[in-house]
Amino acid sequence: MKLTEVLEAAKKEAHCGMCKLDYLETGVCPSGKKHGFLAYWPEGRVELTRALAENEVEPTEALLDIVSSCNFCGICDKQCNFITQLRPMKVEHALKDYVDSLSKNQLRHIPDDDVLKDLRAIVGPEWATNDPCIIASYTRSALRNKPTTKFYIVMPRTTEDIVAIVKLANKYKIPYLPRGNGTFFSVAMNTLLSPAVSIEQGIIIDLWRMKDISIDPVAMTATIGPGITSFELQKAATKHKLRANVAEAESHVCANAQNLGIITTWSNTYGWSSDNFIDAEKVDMEGNITHISDQEIPNPYATDTGISSLCLIPNVIVTSLTVKLHPIFDDEKNIFVPFTNLEDAIDMAENLAKRNVGISLAVISRKYLSEFLCPTHEVAEGFNEVLKKYVKLNYLVDIICTDRDRKIIEEMTDVSFDEKMVKSLILGSAKLASMTNSSLLKMISEEKDPLRALFAGPLRKHLENGLAATPQELAKVFDEDLREFYSKVYSRPEITNPIWLHMFRILPCRMERKHMWMYRGGYMPGDKKTILEVCDALEKSAEKYHIDGAFGFLSYLDHGKFAHLEYDYYYDHTDPHARKRVNQSIVDSWKRQFAIPGVTPLEFIINKGLRRKEHILYPFPPGLSEEELPLVDDIVESVFGGEDQW
Amino acid sequence: MVKYLTEEWAQQAKKKVLGELDRKKDLKNMNAKLLNIVQNVPPDNKTIYYYIKFVDGNLEELLAGPDESIKQKEAEFSVVGDYTTFVQIGKGEMSSAMALLKSRVKLTGNKMKALTITKPLDNYTSCIKNIETEY
Repeated sequence: MKLTEVLEAAKKEAHCGMCKLDYLETGVCPSGKKHGFLAYWPEGRVELTRALAENEVEPTEALLDIVSSCNFCGICDKQCNFITQLRPMKVEHALKDYVDSLSKNQLRHIPDDDVLKDLRAIVGPEWATNDPCIIASYTRSALRNKPTTKFYIVMPRTTEDIVAIVKLANKYKIPYLPRGNGTFFSVAMNTLLSPAVSIEQGIIIDLWRMKDISIDPVAMTATIGPGITSFELQKAATKHKLRANVAEAESHVCANAQNLGIITTWSNTYGWSSDNFIDAEKVDMEGNITHISDQEIPNPYATDTGISSLCLIPNVIVTSLTVKLHPIFDDEKNIFVPFTNLEDAIDMAENLAKRNVGISLAVISRKYLSEFLCPTHEVAEGFNEVLKKYVKLNYLVDIICTDRDRKIIEEMTDVSFDEKMVKSLILGSAKLASMTNSSLLKMISEEKDPLRALFAGPLRKHLENGLAATPQELAKVFDEDLREFYSKVYSRPEITNPIWLHMFRILPCRMERKHMWMYRGGYMPGDKKTILEVCDALEKSAEKYHIDGAFGFLSYLDHGKFAHLEYDYYYDHTDPHARKRVNQSIVDSWKRQFAIPGVTPLEFIINKGLRRKEHILYPFPPGLSEEELPLVDDIVESVFGGEDQW
Repeated sequence: MVKYLTEEWAQQAKKKVLGELDRKKDLKNMNAKLLNIVQNVPPDNKTIYYYIKFVDGNLEELLAGPDESIKQKEAEFSVVGDYTTFVQIGKGEMSSAMALLKSRVKLTGNKMKALTITKPLDNYTSCIKNIETEY
């Protein structure tokens, strides 16, 4: 098989980084686990294949090692297909065929230089490289330049290693960039933000090896290194019947805490930014180690805010974080209250937030429900259509709570469903998606209130029973060779348990199955008027530039005083025209959001995650006037260049 | 060919800006007093000061050199960064706003006001990058 035959699949890769997690109990790629560098993981091999196919990099001696380290065990196909529907094995076979076709003298030898020798002296010979094939695997998830420029990848093990690396970079006067799992980079790198989140040359510090973790069940804390993912922390915490407030499964907790402050549906109770942690160890740009708990330091929680505070590259590396853990209660339930209108959903969620009801509380969209629960994007589209057309289910208030809160919710509404229905919806998703001509659904759609008809009466039981599908039936939507495996996966209780899914967050990358997405939204006052105004602004920007935009989720902070909104723009990141349009819509949406009092767009909270949320969100920004709004264009042009440059 | 951030370079730069840039159109009648502190200048890692003062878009002062008296000039903004970063900005490889965004330089002063003058400052930088300079 030729590289060009798999190029389209390779280009489509979204760099979710899920292949580094053992989230399906398959184990992880043995080659990646042994060698660490991205090129040895399925994600990196696919990116390397793309770079070779597009002649961005020439074959090197390391390429032979990368290919021969793969034993074609097939773990990557199982993991990647579950989330993205891609089959990395096909790409890896093409890569092997390509390498087999090369003679030894076609593989470039890359000599060591002084920087590399010094890096190897710090971390050991196998954990630093300047090989362009390895570097190429980081393109689009840390680097924007072709790997022809001078880059190094280094994988430290300790804080002391990082101190030495930072001092080395300063000695050679070259930039450096810490990299967690690259998930933020992989979203930003396709947009006009890419020059601001990447380095033009220098050292990529890949933090994957720094996997120390210790749980203190009495203090209910976990102290973790920067290589620990959300999934790994949650797994360790749950062994003690504790829960961490973590982002998507694949994100590195330290990086996510520093970058975005850990944005979740659990913020209703667990909070955001500095609410999440006890202490952080950081290495600054001079290579000094500081702790947030140090007494002789300036206020570590204070920060600039507003339009002038944009900073997309961290100026410290978090090398250890002590995070808070929270108890898991035996009587926790997940209740979903369906709505046709966003206004009604917000009314209920805001009311609950103000009363502090719900450990986890969010308004989620039909789009999220469909994409997260359904095994393939095609099933999700059918599922989405059925919910929209027949059931008029557009939004859900999604609450995880104890019995005490459940009673409050039940007093507010009798239109709801729980974990049992979610299990039926997951296992019966393909069945529901195919029910476009169902007489039962047509009958429901003709009811005055289809949601009430379906979820408040006896029909709910019928639907649950009607959908009741076995894991074996659901597995039929997958490729034949994977069906037996997915039957086993869907037989595991946690895979259909929404509370587990909220905690471990293994499904969000399913959003990327069809197209890449760009996160829009941010923080704002929690009143309905502001939230709807922001939704409207983001929708208008998407419409103006023909971008497929959709409400994602809304969560609350501080008894409903603040809300966080994620509204997503979906676009084909392999299409330059679509990329251009998404860039235009980003700038347009900034302007529209900055005009609304109290709103801080997401990009403007980046790198403030370790600050105190009160310093970030107060005072409420007044909203830019008509006269001030052109300033956004000026800043964009100064920072990112004119439209012709992106 | 003049050496970057020397008195000769400053003189040429001032002449070029005054001769080529329009106070209103290019420099937006900007009022700004900016002190750049350039660290680790080769060959002996010394510090150089680089000061510019605009009044109504007119470049009244442009000074560069190791002289401490430049450092004492009244400035509403000061920008501290490494020589390599200033070279990138000087060559037009990186805008000053991008350098700020990437924490390559540190700004003291009203950031909001600094952002309002980024556009005319970009025009200024773009004009002087064409001076034949030895970095």
